[in-house]
Amino acid sequence: MTESSATTVSPVLTLQNVRKTYRGREALKGISLELRPGELLGFFGPNGAGKTTMIRCISGLLKPDSGKIIRHPFDHGDDDDQNNDEPIRLGLVPQNLAVYPDLTVQQNLEVFGRLEGVSGKALKHRINEVLEWAALKDRTQSLTKTLSGGMQRRLNIACSVLHDPDILLLDEPTVGVDPQSRERIYEMMQQLTADGAAVLLTTHQLEEVETRCDRIVVMDHGTIVADGTLSELVSRTIGQPHRVILRFDRPCSKPLAAFAFDEPRTTATCSLASMKELPQVLSVLKQLDQEPSRIDVRSYGLQDVFLELTGRSLRE
Amino acid sequence: MILTILRILFLRLRNNPLELVLVFVMPVVFFSIFAGIFSKGIATGSDKKLRVGWIAAHETALSLGLRAFLEKNSTLQCSSLIVKPSLADLEDEAEEESVAEIEIEATIAEAQRAGRYDLIIRLPNDFPSQLVDSQDSTPCAVQLVTDGQNPMAVAMVTSVVRGFFAQKKAEVTAEQMMSLSLAAQPSSGYGSPREPNESQYFDPAKNPSQFFGDDPDSRFIVTNLDGVNSVNGVSNVPKEWAIAPPQAELTTEELLETALADTTESENDEAVSISVENPQAATQENPRIAMYAAGIAVLFLLFSSTGNAAALLEEAESGTLDRILVSQAGLFHIVTGKWLGILLLGCLQITVMFVWAELVFRIQLAKHIVGFCIMTFSTAAATASFAMLLATLCKSRAQLNAVSVVIILSMSAVGGSMIPRFAMSDRMKEIGRWTFNAWALDGYQKIFWFQSPLTSLQNEVAVLLGSSLVLGVLTLLFSGRWKRG
Repeated sequence: MTESSATTVSPVLTLQNVRKTYRGREALKGISLELRPGELLGFFGPNGAGKTTMIRCISGLLKPDSGKIIRHPFDHGDDDDQNNDEPIRLGLVPQNLAVYPDLTVQQNLEVFGRLEGVSGKALKHRINEVLEWAALKDRTQSLTKTLSGGMQRRLNIACSVLHDPDILLLDEPTVGVDPQSRERIYEMMQQLTADGAAVLLTTHQLEEVETRCDRIVVMDHGTIVADGTLSELVSRTIGQPHRVILRFDRPCSKPLAAFAFDEPRTTATCSLASMKELPQVLSVLKQLDQEPSRIDVRSYGLQDVFLELTGRSLRE
Repeated sequence: MILTILRILFLRLRNNPLELVLVFVMPVVFFSIFAGIFSKGIATGSDKKLRVGWIAAHETALSLGLRAFLEKNSTLQCSSLIVKPSLADLEDEAEEESVAEIEIEATIAEAQRAGRYDLIIRLPNDFPSQLVDSQDSTPCAVQLVTDGQNPMAVAMVTSVVRGFFAQKKAEVTAEQMMSLSLAAQPSSGYGSPREPNESQYFDPAKNPSQFFGDDPDSRFIVTNLDGVNSVNGVSNVPKEWAIAPPQAELTTEELLETALADTTESENDEAVSISVENPQAATQENPRIAMYAAGIAVLFLLFSSTGNAAALLEEAESGTLDRILVSQAGLFHIVTGKWLGILLLGCLQITVMFVWAELVFRIQLAKHIVGFCIMTFSTAAATASFAMLLATLCKSRAQLNAVSVVIILSMSAVGGSMIPRFAMSDRMKEIGRWTFNAWALDGYQKIFWFQSPLTSLQNEVAVLLGSSLVLGVLTLLFSGRWKRG
C-alpha cells in the first residue's frame, strides 16, 4: 500500500480514545487509531503494553470502558446493487494455536468455516483456496497435532480467513516458527492485503515489523507512543536515520565539519539524512593528521526508536 | 540428587493447593462419608430402623399384641397403612370382600412404589383374637409383603414375629401348667396361694424349671407384656412381672442369625405361619441388575459429562473459544451446543449400559422403554447442566478435575451409586435427595423394580429437569465471564 493511497482510502476501523481497565489495571489509556483497507499495520510494544487487550476490544471480546470502536460498513462491490454495504467481516488469529489438535486440517477448516457462516459449495471452494494459500494442500487429512509448528501456525491463520475477512487481527502469529514458515506467513498476509483486507498484527519480531509492515504503531503503558512508517518514527524520535562514528586512540585536536566531538575528543559523531551523504562526510578524514582507530556507520531501526520511546528498564 | 528430586516433588505439591486437597482432604472426606453411612446409615446402627408397614383387615387382641410387640422393638419403626377406599359400587358381600382385597393390594403397591416401607406386615381377615395352644389349632397366618429391595428386612421381621408368637405360646403353656401345678399342690410350697408373700410363689431356691419343664429357655418365655424382668437370679418376682423378649435386645446380626435359625426350625413352630410375598416377583426379572446399571451409569455419566464440559476450558485456554466468540456463533450458541452434545452423549452412554444389561442380564428393557427414555433424558439433561456449570465456574481444567472428582464421588456415595439407598438411614437418604444420583436411581427403581406407571415419575422428572433448567440458566449467566475475559 502506498502512502498516498493510505491517506485517501477511508478506514475500515477507527478507534477513538478507547479506555479499558482490565484485571484492576488501566490497560488502555485512550487509544486512537485508524486502519485502512489493504494496510498491514504492525503493533509493537513491550510485554504488558496493552496490545492483546486492544485486540480483544477490537474483536468485541472486551467492551471498552469508554471511547468508540467503529467498524465501518464495507462496500465489497460484489454486485451492482446500490445498497451493498454490509457489516464488516472480522477474523481473529489468537496467540495460541486455536485449532482442534484432534481434528484433521480439513475438518478444522470445515468447522471454523461453518462457524463463520460459510457452507456448502462455497465452503468447499474456499477451503481449497485457503489450503493452497497456506501451503497445506498435501496435509488435508493429517491430524493437526501431527503437523509441524509452522504448519500448525499456518492452519491457525487459515481458519480465520475462510469468510474472507475485511479485517484480520493477528496476535503474535509467528511465535515459535522457523524462518521458512515465517516467510510463508508474511507472504500470506501480503496476499490478503493485496486483496484489500486490512491486517493488524502484534509481534515482538522487530525485523518483521520493520520490513513487512506498511505502518508501525508503538505502544507502551496502554498508550500509543508512536505511529507511522519506520522512517517517520526514526525522524520523529531520533532525528537522522544514519550515523557515522569516528573513534580515536588519543584526543583529536582538529575540528571536523559536521562532526560533533565528545568531551575527551576521542569520539566524533555525524548524523546523515541519507547514505548518499556518506562519501562527502567521510572526505573530511583527508584533513586529519591522525587516523581514526575505528569507523562505525550505523542505520537506526525500530529497536532504537523503541528504546528511545520506552526506555531500557525491564518490563513484565 | 535424590533429595533434589524429592524436593521438586514436595515443592510442586506445596504450590498446588488443589493437588494437596486431592491428596490429603479427599481421603478424609470419603472416609467420613462412608463412615457416616456404615456407622449410622446401615441397618446395624442406631440411626437406622426398618420401616414396617402394618395392615390388618380386623384388629384383634392378638394382632394388637403383635403390633405392640413390634413397636417396642428398637430396630423397627412400625406404622399403619391407611387403605384408600375404592370408588367401585358394592352390590353384595362377596363383591365387597373382593373390592376390599383390591383396595388393600392397591394400598400396598402404592406404599411400595413410594418406598415408604422396607416391609409390610399383612394380617388376614381371619386372624385370631388369641393364641390357642392345642394339637388341633392351626398356626396364625402372617403375611410379609416385600418389594425385594432389602433382603435383611424379611429375616429381621420374621425373627421378631416368631419371637412374639413363641412368647405368647409359652405364656399360654405356662398358664396351663401353672393351673395344673396349683391344682396338684394346693397347700404348700410353690403351689401355696400368692398372697401375702409373693416370694413363696417364685422361690429362687427352687428351679422354675420344675414348673416349666426341662427346657431352660422356658424360664425366659414366662412373660407378661406389661413388664420386663428376668426370673433368673431375682428373688422376688411377682407374677405380673415379665421378661423382655430376648429378640428385642439382639443386634441386627444376631436377629438375622436367629431368623435364619428360626426359618430352619419353622416346621416345629406351629404358633405362626409366616408367608413372604413379593408382588413384583412375578413380573420382575433381574430388577436388581437394572438398579446396578443405573447406579453405575449415573456415576460414569457425571464423570463423562464433566470431562466433555472441560473442553470448554481447554478451548478458553487455547484461544479457540475467543475465535469462536468472534465468529457468528454467540455465547448462547456455544453453551447450548455444548450442553446438547453432552446431553446426547449422556443419553447414549446410559443406553449402551442398559442395552448391555438387557443382552446379558435380561432386565426387560423393551418392556420399560418409555420410562427408561424419560428417566435417561432427564438424568442426562441434569448432569449436562451440572457439568456445564462446573466448567463455567472453574478457572482451569486442572481445577475442574479436582473439584469434579470430589463432588461426583461424594454425590455418588450419598446418592446411592455406591451403596444401595435402602441400606441408608433416613437422614442419609434425605441428604441423598440433594444429589442427582438419588433422584435418578429412584426413577429407574420405579420403572424397573416397582414397574410403576409413568405418572409416578413426575417428581423425579420434575426435579431433574428443573435442576437442569436452573443450572443451565446459571451456566449462561456465569459464562459471561468468557466474554469479559
